[in-house]
Amino acid sequence: MRLYVFHQTKYRYPSPVKDSFNELRLYPISNEWQKCESCFIHVLPSTQLQQYLDLNGNIVNHFEIPQDHSKLIIESRSTVTTHSRVDFNALPYGKKMSTLKKMQGQSEARPYLQSSSFVEINPESWRLAVDVQADSQDIFQTAYMIMEFIFQNFEYSNSITSVETHGNQALKLRKGVCQDFAHAALVLCRCLSIPARYVSGYVFDRTRDQSMRGAEASHAWIEVLVNGFGWFGLDPTNNQVVDENYIVLGTGMDYKDVAPVTGTYFGKPPKSMEVNVTVKRMDSSDR
Amino acid sequence: MLSRVADNLYWMNRYVERAESLARVVEVNQDNLLELDDNIELDRFWLSSIHAFHAHEYIDHEKESSAECFFLFSDSWPSSIRNCIFSARENARMVRDQLSEEIWVELNSIYHFFRSKDAEVSFDQTPQQFFQKVIRFSLVFQGLSDATVNHDEGWLFMSLGKYLERADQTSRALDALTLKEKKPSRKDLIAALRICSALSAFRRQYRGELSLRNVAEFLLFSQDFPRSMRFAIRRIDSNLHELSGVPSGNFSNEAERLAGSALAAVNFTNIDAVLARGLHLSLDELQLSLMDVGQKIFETYVMSPLELQNVNDDQSMQAQQ
Amino acid sequence: MNPAPFEKYKTEDFFDEMFGNSSGEPLLHYQKIFDRISRLTPVEIAEKRSHADSSFLEHGITFTVYGDEEGTEKIFPFDLIPRIIPRAEWEIVEQGLTQRILALNLFLNDIYHDGKILSDGVIPKEIVYSSPNYRREMVGIDVPKDIYVHVCGSDLIRDETGAYYVLEDNARCPSGVSYLLENRQIMKRTFPQTFQGMSVRSVELYPEILLSTLEYLSPRRSQKPVCVVLTPGIYNSAYFEHTFLARQMGIEIVEGRDLIAIDGYVYMRTTHGLVQVDVIYRRLDDDFLDPLFFNKDSTLGVAGLMDAYLKGNVALANGIGTGVADDKVTYAYVPEMIRYYLGQDPILPNVPTYLCWRESDRDHVLENLENLVVKPANESGGYGLLVGTDSTKKEREEYKERIKSNPRDFIAQPIVSLSRHPTIFEDSIEGRHVDLRPFILYGKDIDIVPGGLTRVALRKDSLVVNSSQGGGSKDTWVLEN
Repeated sequence: MRLYVFHQTKYRYPSPVKDSFNELRLYPISNEWQKCESCFIHVLPSTQLQQYLDLNGNIVNHFEIPQDHSKLIIESRSTVTTHSRVDFNALPYGKKMSTLKKMQGQSEARPYLQSSSFVEINPESWRLAVDVQADSQDIFQTAYMIMEFIFQNFEYSNSITSVETHGNQALKLRKGVCQDFAHAALVLCRCLSIPARYVSGYVFDRTRDQSMRGAEASHAWIEVLVNGFGWFGLDPTNNQVVDENYIVLGTGMDYKDVAPVTGTYFGKPPKSMEVNVTVKRMDSSDR
Repeated sequence: MLSRVADNLYWMNRYVERAESLARVVEVNQDNLLELDDNIELDRFWLSSIHAFHAHEYIDHEKESSAECFFLFSDSWPSSIRNCIFSARENARMVRDQLSEEIWVELNSIYHFFRSKDAEVSFDQTPQQFFQKVIRFSLVFQGLSDATVNHDEGWLFMSLGKYLERADQTSRALDALTLKEKKPSRKDLIAALRICSALSAFRRQYRGELSLRNVAEFLLFSQDFPRSMRFAIRRIDSNLHELSGVPSGNFSNEAERLAGSALAAVNFTNIDAVLARGLHLSLDELQLSLMDVGQKIFETYVMSPLELQNVNDDQSMQAQQ
Repeated sequence: MNPAPFEKYKTEDFFDEMFGNSSGEPLLHYQKIFDRISRLTPVEIAEKRSHADSSFLEHGITFTVYGDEEGTEKIFPFDLIPRIIPRAEWEIVEQGLTQRILALNLFLNDIYHDGKILSDGVIPKEIVYSSPNYRREMVGIDVPKDIYVHVCGSDLIRDETGAYYVLEDNARCPSGVSYLLENRQIMKRTFPQTFQGMSVRSVELYPEILLSTLEYLSPRRSQKPVCVVLTPGIYNSAYFEHTFLARQMGIEIVEGRDLIAIDGYVYMRTTHGLVQVDVIYRRLDDDFLDPLFFNKDSTLGVAGLMDAYLKGNVALANGIGTGVADDKVTYAYVPEMIRYYLGQDPILPNVPTYLCWRESDRDHVLENLENLVVKPANESGGYGLLVGTDSTKKEREEYKERIKSNPRDFIAQPIVSLSRHPTIFEDSIEGRHVDLRPFILYGKDIDIVPGGLTRVALRKDSLVVNSSQGGGSKDTWVLEN
């Protein structure tokens, strides 16, 4: 599927600010399931962008605006071709939970087994995770049950939590947006030693009634590592296995690693932020 | 030296000086109150002081038990004596390695006095002793600053803080006379002098000829009295030149230029010209130009202008939905 | 006549620093001090004590207790009877510590580069990679002179036979050296005569050596390096020490907001403009150093500092990512590191350690909780530990849950009956448990300040000596002969 994404972030400051340092994670990665054909990132006031790969292999664009400015606009326009990432007839069942122990030394898995900024492994969430696991002995099945548990027990609401809400807090509230759903799923997976990472990206809503959540903004879900099979995406906000309707921007231990825009500046705190995201299909007329 | 350290030393001294001035204001006003008997006059009396300190926006009449308590102990007004002492100590704490042990001990003990209930009790039961304690503290502090600290760059910043605050306080004491609804009475004039602890020095010079003109002339232009505007501005000017090493009469930064021009303003005018323009207006201008000097000192030696009002802030992050 | 101070003194079943395993006769190296104290009347002792206490107060030698409203400043209690280490004993300790700091640095250099020790299977990879203090940012980065830990404080204890053990290494921001230096000053003032004829090795050179250790790291060779002490600020528990060291070294003490990073260099803001900084002795954990890299909410750090560090334009002491070396799980493997990198046998042994991360160890720990000390792997200052013998059943049950949910985070050790030392109280002298924290500096050479900070648990029978948990300290003498 060929998808086009427009993602705009606008900041307005009440008085001019300066010395703004920012990092963007808005450039879709390319891998065996998706290919980024083009990505244009545009910043106003205009400035030079530098690009590097971070430790998680995500593409980061960095820029500085030393001079005074009272608004900042960041736009990205990407075209991405996606392929079906899973064969729904051959999901990676059959790996026993008892094999997880072996994965702890794998460099691929190691950062995704621990507590991180938004995820804490503690007795309370561990007990919950054990309850959700019930008598499942299969890795993928357990992860799937965690996704289902969250989807069924969480209320989707964007007025309760904020961008800073911790995963364990979301798990207590059982309310929030996709970021909270994803963090909560990470907490439960990691409590059971299933390597699980946070994914930032977009989802194209192919449903007739536009019922998918998260299509109007940047979206987030998780991926779990099943040894021998690789990473599998699970979207607890929509209760589904990630397929070709999803575009990955980047992955990390949690939101902190992949936040689309982060930075600091010198200036007065109150400000407004506006985000617009559009995802369109380009290779078909069915939309 | 580190800019932050310079800034802390400067503010430490400003706050100590401010606490002392305020103690005198409340002490003198309280004395005068004893002779008043009706409440309307009483309110009016305090109102002029509150306005001179631009404190009216902080006062919550429901909460404050009395105007005195507001001046002394208010939590909401940053310049109440208690807050001044707290702020002075906070600044000192950050630069303790630059201070002598004696200074720290003095500041610490007055801090603990104000932190406990002792201060309120003392004010309630023996107000005279209470005011004396605050004023004495400030005088001891200044003596120790002169006698136990190296007269180096840091000391110059301490001195700048002291004289800028002092000039400001003297101008406020004079200004309180112009804010009265009536022509200032003899009692008002004496109060202004006492607030600046200038009564006996004034008497020696003017032989008891008590008039607004003379009082204003003395507090503005006296060459030798250490709380007159001219004296304080001269010190500010010389401290700034010592700091930069640029000879007096020249300037190498905005702070020096403005201080030099403020000094020229008090050197090359006289009381008749001031009264002709209006005392309040002249004082206002002087206050503003000194505020500018303070601002420019900060900009020159401590931070660049933008950072002054601003803090380092994180860009807002977008929640993923 | 008053009873002699030591008349009622009992060593009980512990090793006593002054009396060894016997009662009555002091060990040879304690003889002079023993005689001197035995001659004091209770009144004299009380006078000396109050003299020492007031010295501490006057000099403002305080620390801040966390969890207390607005961070109260307290005095670190000081005991007048010095701890004495004879020369031969000290030399062994010194060799053992030298070996240790060398191995720790080689280990850090290895895991942030080729990871040989991991691929050779000497230390399990997952131990290192799962440490929260392992910094992926440091992989492949060369640090000045390949030294990561420049200042290390290792805690030593002695068991009931008097044998020394290493209890833990502090390879991040070890504190306490200012107390060591002040203790000596106050001791000299309180007991001037006792130093005569004892040939006690001096400790006063520490700040000077620390400064030359820092200067050694400077990326700029051409001129006198600009070194600074970076403190989190006045509310930090060790703020006194930060100012103390800065003053003793004659360098600036700065907070994050005094520094600014521009184009990959770090500068401090002074009244004469920006001055480039070469070496930062940081007393701030990795997490708070740079809001761009680590903790985004940190207002204590400097945005852009990491960039300058990774480019080699500013040196940090200690380096970034050293926390993985003082992780208590890594600690268990230090003897292996010594064998692997140095081909030597460890001179100072570890306390036997159970890693809850290993299933077999974990089961043992869970079954024997009441006889063990359980520690979180990455806390310092004695926070969060469970002393089995002192715990209630409920506490143990709660702790079991915590271990089960996150076994990597906990280790357990048998309860070592720390050696005791005569300590002065209101009207008696009693034995109290002590440990020893020597300070090791690693620059051009390895220097260990003779002795270290002896901490003493002032509560009877307590084994916890941390200042934050009611501990005190003693002057520590290493004898020349």
